[in-house]
Amino acid sequence: MRSLSALIACPGCDLLLKKINPAGSIKQFCPRCNRLLYQKKSHSISKVLAISISGLIAYIPAISLPLLTLNAMGMHQNGSVFDAFVSFYHQNYIFVAVLLFLTSILFPLLKLSLLFSVALQLKLRLYSNNLPFLFRLSHYLDEWGMPDVYLIAVLVSIIKISSVASIQYDVGFFCFIFLVVMTRASSSALDSEIFWQEIQQIKPPMQLHENSSD
Amino acid sequence: MDAGFISCHDCGILVNVGNIAAETILSCPRCNANLHFRKTHSISRTWALIITSAILFLPANLLPIMRVDFLGTQEYSTIMDGIIYFFHGQEYGIGLIIFIASILVPLFKIIGMLIILLSIHFKWKHWLRHKSAMFRFIEFVGRWSMLDIFVIALMSTLVDFGTLTSTQAAPAATYFTAVVVCTMFAALTFDPRLLWDA
Ligand SMILES: [Zn+2]
Ligand SMILES: [Zn+2]
Repeated sequence: MRSLSALIACPGCDLLLKKINPAGSIKQFCPRCNRLLYQKKSHSISKVLAISISGLIAYIPAISLPLLTLNAMGMHQNGSVFDAFVSFYHQNYIFVAVLLFLTSILFPLLKLSLLFSVALQLKLRLYSNNLPFLFRLSHYLDEWGMPDVYLIAVLVSIIKISSVASIQYDVGFFCFIFLVVMTRASSSALDSEIFWQEIQQIKPPMQLHENSSD
Repeated sequence: MDAGFISCHDCGILVNVGNIAAETILSCPRCNANLHFRKTHSISRTWALIITSAILFLPANLLPIMRVDFLGTQEYSTIMDGIIYFFHGQEYGIGLIIFIASILVPLFKIIGMLIILLSIHFKWKHWLRHKSAMFRFIEFVGRWSMLDIFVIALMSTLVDFGTLTSTQAAPAATYFTAVVVCTMFAALTFDPRLLWDA
């Protein structure tokens, strides 16, 4: 079993293509189905490392501190991302609560932590056996972490509430915006191809018991 | 795939597997993921998930999704009621966003995937580029349907002034979340390369 570094197959239609010289064009699209095949990004590992650290620092205040405080009829009420999950849980909508927990709390954290640990290991050139797995996991989680959708929901709620109560923006709100920006930035700075090439480079030579027909 | 190569689902590397028996399980030399020519049972899994979402889509829209208590009176509203409420309040932008995320996108995902599945079933070879583009759009847009659920979660936390007024979720929330999850899984289990195999 041997890999062919000069060729790739389009993930959208399986057309076999020659890989463009890395020094050449920045973006490559499939000529048959028009899927974006590859986008070259510079200094990907360092950028991902820096962005994921900043995101992780903002994470705890973003999730646990109140986003907004409502003032109406002389009463105050505030809530955080975590409170919103707890409230669904108390209303006995367990399935929705679990999804809320995964998409708005757990997966955003996991995604940043995984990218952080992979980028750090690549930076220090430390190979561990679960490195490919960690990086694959971060891909699987990509679309299930939804802090960006959540932020739009916060804005919709603000408009919904603003007609009946006055709103005060709390620290959590700004931390949450920062978290969303960092999460998006980490995705756009991530060049998977470079990461995989680096992982392959620092991987120690294959052990004998692994199946190799070549 | 005819050339004896497999491209890895996870890291995209192309592996020369030669003429191996179809049953052999191979793993990717770069990322250790299992290698397949196509995602396993892609068509039947996608069909099952899309039919499930289409069925769940009905209770998700017909049952109330939110309950507002105001001075002892309870008022239930469906997704559509919420949208109409925004339009009555002249909040056209928000009304439109919720309408697109909660009704148009799930409907588009279900109908779009049905078109793609049917065209594979009947081997329709036209508009393949458009269908590929539509699938990429369905993949991209899927998660945005969770918007309304997040709004309800936030409202029920923030608008909670005891007996005076409070907001709570109603049964459709569960069905709606299930629709979103099923359609997202449908896009994940579907292998767009099957469109081009015919
Ligand atoms: Zn293609
Ligand atoms: Zn791989």
